[in-house]
Amino acid sequence: MCPALLENEERCFGGMTFFARSHPAELCGSNGLPLTPNSITILGKSQFMKTIQHPNLSTYLDIIRSKHERTIVVAEYRGEALATKENLSNDDIIKIAYQCLIGLKYMNELGLVHSHLSPENILINKNGDVQLYNFGLYYMTDHGKNVSFPIGYPKYTAPEIFLNNGVRSFKVDSWSLGMIIAERLLKCTLWPGVKLSQCLRKVLSLIHTENSVFERLSRENNCYRIYENLPEDIKDFVNSCLQIHTSLRKVPEDLLSLPIFENFLKKDAEEMEDKLYKNVISRKMDELYYLWQLAGGDMLMELKKQGLIRSRPPILSIPNLIILLGQMFGRRDIAGLLDLRVIKVPLNTLNQRLSHILYVANYPRLTSDMHVQAQDDLTEAASQLPLIIRERDTEYQFHRIVLYDRLLQIYPITKDTIIREAHKDIPPPVRGAVWAALLNVTGDIQKRYDMIDKETPTHTDRQIEVDIPRCHQYSELLSSGAGHERLQRLLKAWVRDNPHYVYWQGLDSLTAPFLYLNFNNEARAFACLSAFIPKYLHKFFLKDNSAVIQEYLGKFSQIIAFYDPQLANHLKSINFVPELFAIPWFLTMFSHVFPIHKILHLWDKLLLGDSSFPLFVGLAILKQLRDSLLTSGFNECILLFSDLPEIDIELCVKDSMSMYQRTPASITYRRHQFNQSKATSWSEPEPGTERMPRISVDDFLDLLNNTPERVIIVDIRNNIQFERGAIPNSINIPFTSVQLAHVQIDTLGPQAKPLTDNKDSIVVIIGLNDQNNALFAEFLTSCQVFGICSLQGGIYALRSKAANILHRSR
Amino acid sequence: MEEEYIEKTFIFKFPTCTSNQEYCLKIPLKIPFQGSIIELVYRIMSSFKLPPYVQSDLYNSLSANIKEWTLKFHDDKTEKLIDAAKSGDLDVEEIIKKWEKNYKLKTVEYAEPIGTTDEELFAAAYHRLVHSPSLEPILQAEHKFGKDVTEVIKMRDKDYQQLTQKQTEEMHVAVETLEAGSTEKSINDMAARHFEEQSLLQGHWGSKVDALKLEQRRQYRNWIMRLLEEQQTNMLPTPVESPMVPMPPLGQGFYNCVKDDKKGVSHYQQLEESFTIHLGSQMKQMHNIRILTGDVLDFCRTKNSDSESIDPTPQRLQTALGLYSNDLCGLVLLSDNHLGSYSGITKELISISQLTTEFHFPPIDEQLEKIREDVKDAVAWRQAHHKEDNDLQQHTKKSTLSKTLQTGDVFITRHSNLAQVHVIFHMVVNDSLRSGDINSRHPAILGLRNILKTACCNDVTTLTIPVLLVHEMTEEMTVAWCTKRAELVFKCVKGFMIEMSSWGGAELKNLQFLVPKGMSEEVFGTLATMLPSIFRVSNPLVFKATSTPQTPKK
Repeated sequence: MCPALLENEERCFGGMTFFARSHPAELCGSNGLPLTPNSITILGKSQFMKTIQHPNLSTYLDIIRSKHERTIVVAEYRGEALATKENLSNDDIIKIAYQCLIGLKYMNELGLVHSHLSPENILINKNGDVQLYNFGLYYMTDHGKNVSFPIGYPKYTAPEIFLNNGVRSFKVDSWSLGMIIAERLLKCTLWPGVKLSQCLRKVLSLIHTENSVFERLSRENNCYRIYENLPEDIKDFVNSCLQIHTSLRKVPEDLLSLPIFENFLKKDAEEMEDKLYKNVISRKMDELYYLWQLAGGDMLMELKKQGLIRSRPPILSIPNLIILLGQMFGRRDIAGLLDLRVIKVPLNTLNQRLSHILYVANYPRLTSDMHVQAQDDLTEAASQLPLIIRERDTEYQFHRIVLYDRLLQIYPITKDTIIREAHKDIPPPVRGAVWAALLNVTGDIQKRYDMIDKETPTHTDRQIEVDIPRCHQYSELLSSGAGHERLQRLLKAWVRDNPHYVYWQGLDSLTAPFLYLNFNNEARAFACLSAFIPKYLHKFFLKDNSAVIQEYLGKFSQIIAFYDPQLANHLKSINFVPELFAIPWFLTMFSHVFPIHKILHLWDKLLLGDSSFPLFVGLAILKQLRDSLLTSGFNECILLFSDLPEIDIELCVKDSMSMYQRTPASITYRRHQFNQSKATSWSEPEPGTERMPRISVDDFLDLLNNTPERVIIVDIRNNIQFERGAIPNSINIPFTSVQLAHVQIDTLGPQAKPLTDNKDSIVVIIGLNDQNNALFAEFLTSCQVFGICSLQGGIYALRSKAANILHRSR
Repeated sequence: MEEEYIEKTFIFKFPTCTSNQEYCLKIPLKIPFQGSIIELVYRIMSSFKLPPYVQSDLYNSLSANIKEWTLKFHDDKTEKLIDAAKSGDLDVEEIIKKWEKNYKLKTVEYAEPIGTTDEELFAAAYHRLVHSPSLEPILQAEHKFGKDVTEVIKMRDKDYQQLTQKQTEEMHVAVETLEAGSTEKSINDMAARHFEEQSLLQGHWGSKVDALKLEQRRQYRNWIMRLLEEQQTNMLPTPVESPMVPMPPLGQGFYNCVKDDKKGVSHYQQLEESFTIHLGSQMKQMHNIRILTGDVLDFCRTKNSDSESIDPTPQRLQTALGLYSNDLCGLVLLSDNHLGSYSGITKELISISQLTTEFHFPPIDEQLEKIREDVKDAVAWRQAHHKEDNDLQQHTKKSTLSKTLQTGDVFITRHSNLAQVHVIFHMVVNDSLRSGDINSRHPAILGLRNILKTACCNDVTTLTIPVLLVHEMTEEMTVAWCTKRAELVFKCVKGFMIEMSSWGGAELKNLQFLVPKGMSEEVFGTLATMLPSIFRVSNPLVFKATSTPQTPKK
């Protein structure tokens, strides 16, 4: 039996930590807001590192911001550092140099400079392949501006870095690599045992070298003999790296075209083809990291355990004196030094946790319907557990990720299966991709996004600029500089791409969840947003959207009355209309109301429904506040909604889902909804005129056929018409006999008994004309009867559609 | 630091299909180029309405140009520097010094190795022991030690009192018999003698108390370390006996002075109300808020004035457990700028903290002495800082240049022997706080912000704030004055707490608003009702047997 994760796994997690530079006290940004802490800036900027996948670069897995400006970086750590290797042959060294250059070249293509090369940061694995480690430090700290320590090892640093504090170019890495390789080739430590200042002096004195730096190094370290015996092409390579004048020094890309690497390049090109189909089922490192965390892994704890984070009791470092301007004195602080040690954490915990899962589980066989029987059994068993628990279950998440991974690889042909699986749940790591699938995002979204101009100033820029620093700022990602920048680009792109719409405040909140999920994939975030808005907020962003919103809120009122007549009557009596609280709910699809982690769970389900689903979410929220609403007057209600109390989101999702599924579609028809296919023959009354919703004949017949026990039919024609032909088991309450002014259900007599007892059924009112239907429906609602709606078109519509169900009663 | 860049003009030429004409585009670029090249290409394409077939040519040519120029830009810059360094225009030695300093200050590899300090060792030992069965003996020992010191101090006070009384009588007699027997000179002599006696007594007792404390501290710290050692080696469930420091020989007056301290804590009605609130619009953060009346020093006084009691008070237990944890308790004390030299509440605090031995931190007078040193630095800093923006703040010149602390400055002392607090924030205030019209820009409010920020950055999670920014009720504090002041403080603190979430420190878990004792129940009620209207009180979770979250049953 072979476990799901192979035991000879060489990959580990590497953890390292450093402190961001803290801002001097009491500085403000140019917009008057407090400066973003540097640790957040680093966090935002370093997200990009996670997207870099290259065989010669170790993958960045996570960047954690911990208390007091500490940043923890988690990356793949595979193999051992070059510093620990001894007695390498020249061929080995050249191979290492070659692979380092491949990695550096790829970095340069992305515009990255390593600037931190050292034998500790070059990892060599069992096969002798190289991975560069910690290559993003210079980039993620914004060229070292966000940290107080210098980046780079003095010995390997190019001399020009010491002379100039500005941005470093690609060529500094060529120098560092040259120094490292020279040291290996000469088989000795350069300048052993020198002090820091001497070391700096030595590096800087190299600028006076007239001919070869390499030669000089060998003479200084008494190994000229070795130097002499080196082949010319190797000397050539090192000399092209170690050029004092940067115009003569080559960038990694050009170094690769030196003759010495010719064979490597040829061989690599040949092997490319072969490697393509190897290791397809080894799990990706980020997935393993996610599962490892679920299995109880915690990098902060690991670092503490290994002494990299020294916990000093806070009372020992509190300052003595803080003057008014915020300057502190007498602070006994020693932390904040850069400690470059890397902690290797093996995958043991995860291996143990998943040891009983078979290896084949990594590649489940999809049936022709693209689903996996074993998955169904699994989700069936777990479906009773709350979502929060399922999201914390290592094993469950393992299976789900494996499945989604496969489905997403061959999207869009698996669209239906993805929807089917999404009804169960969506694992957090794939949520961004799954949402895109649910929103039917396909095609070359990157190109489409690239083509939109996001830079030319427009008149909405100011408003966007004001809104962004107020949008979900508790989230570290969204409050970082990179977050602000990306959100701005997305919003500008959307405004640009939808000239018939305008930017309404709230669009920022609406965009935030998509950006949060696709932080490194703006194009997908944009494509999701562009698909989301027509689906759920059709016409909401018109310059004059009052008609659309009015209709929507009118529908919301009807739904409240339909499901909760008591609440509706109370709200009506205190004149508390949805316009007062629900506009931000629907305009932002609740993204302005809830924190991101709740929105994600809410939208997981929202995306499976149509544009009427939000109405039920709104109702589910009201349901949770019901008790306080029923006892409150107008002012208390306003106060209550001005700062909404905590809502139990899981319950809210569950309630809205069940209401959504039980409600016939026509109850929620709107004229301004996007999908008009079903509503073609629909004539909705003017918004606001009817308090109760209407049901279409088709939906009514469906109900009657499928769940007759859930329908109560009230026929309000007069006795004669009723006797002539009516639906069996319907109740006849002639409209003319009703005194609308007496809001007492008892006045209707004994046949109204089923109405008062009604808890769950839909009451359909059938009459001769819509006006009377509506009046009677309103009357029943005032009597607190649940589930009232009237049949669209009344008895005539029914007769023309399905005359056969009308029977003569006597 | 302004980004360096150069301007370049990108020239792109492409032919047309129909004629032999060549189109020529000129696009100004900043090198190094920021942003996406492909997006720039699309922008150029659309703004110049270029035909789609030039797109890839344009892209290739543009990216090649940018790459070349960027390299050249960097090369030129570094070449210049290297030439300058070669020719000696750049002071290489200076540069080496700068970098050396930077490496030595900021990286572990090159910094002076720092071992664990004594105080950290002791902290770790203590923290570990109080979270073990040794907790009780430790507290007992502390209590016993404390009692000893308190008794000696009581004796000292008694002696003082007796001496003073004797001297007063003597002086009285002498003054009465002026003319008859005693002369002005003899009275003066007597006064001088009295003063000498006083200081002699003071010196006598002072050295006695100090010696006792020093010995206790030494013994205690040794004992703690020994305790830890034994616990580690033997895994002893019951710890070793605590050491006993012999009391100094007691004066004859000891037995009559033991039980004269009956006044205890003043009894007044304690008013108190608590709320759970949440802050934040989307992400809600929970906090506990309490408003209560009381004397600010009650948080410091250990209430075991009854020397016979064997057991320490339960508050001490809490304080000992939290001392080296990440949940510290803080108190804001309003003080003057004399650092407790003469009188006032700081002086009272000093005498309270001197009633027992401080085992962990330097004694309070030493801490204050250190702060006086720091004040000098602060004044220097302020002056240096002041010079920079001299023109901006002409009017604040006078106050800025004073040699002492100013309103809103805060000094901090740490304690292990007080009842409920570890950290005391002494905020310097002046009489301007008595006036009714202070606003949110008042230095005391800003000082409060600094306190909250420091609390946040140093894991002080329980903080007590005098809500009216005064410790005693006075005449001018009318009902309107009180409500206005409380509202200001509530609102400002709320703002600071919201701000706090971005400071990246510990969340303030418990916030206590202290109202001076002797406030009428009515006013207290007004202030208490103000709280839930300013802070959003979280809804109670109501469990109902009837309403299941599920849909109604069929």
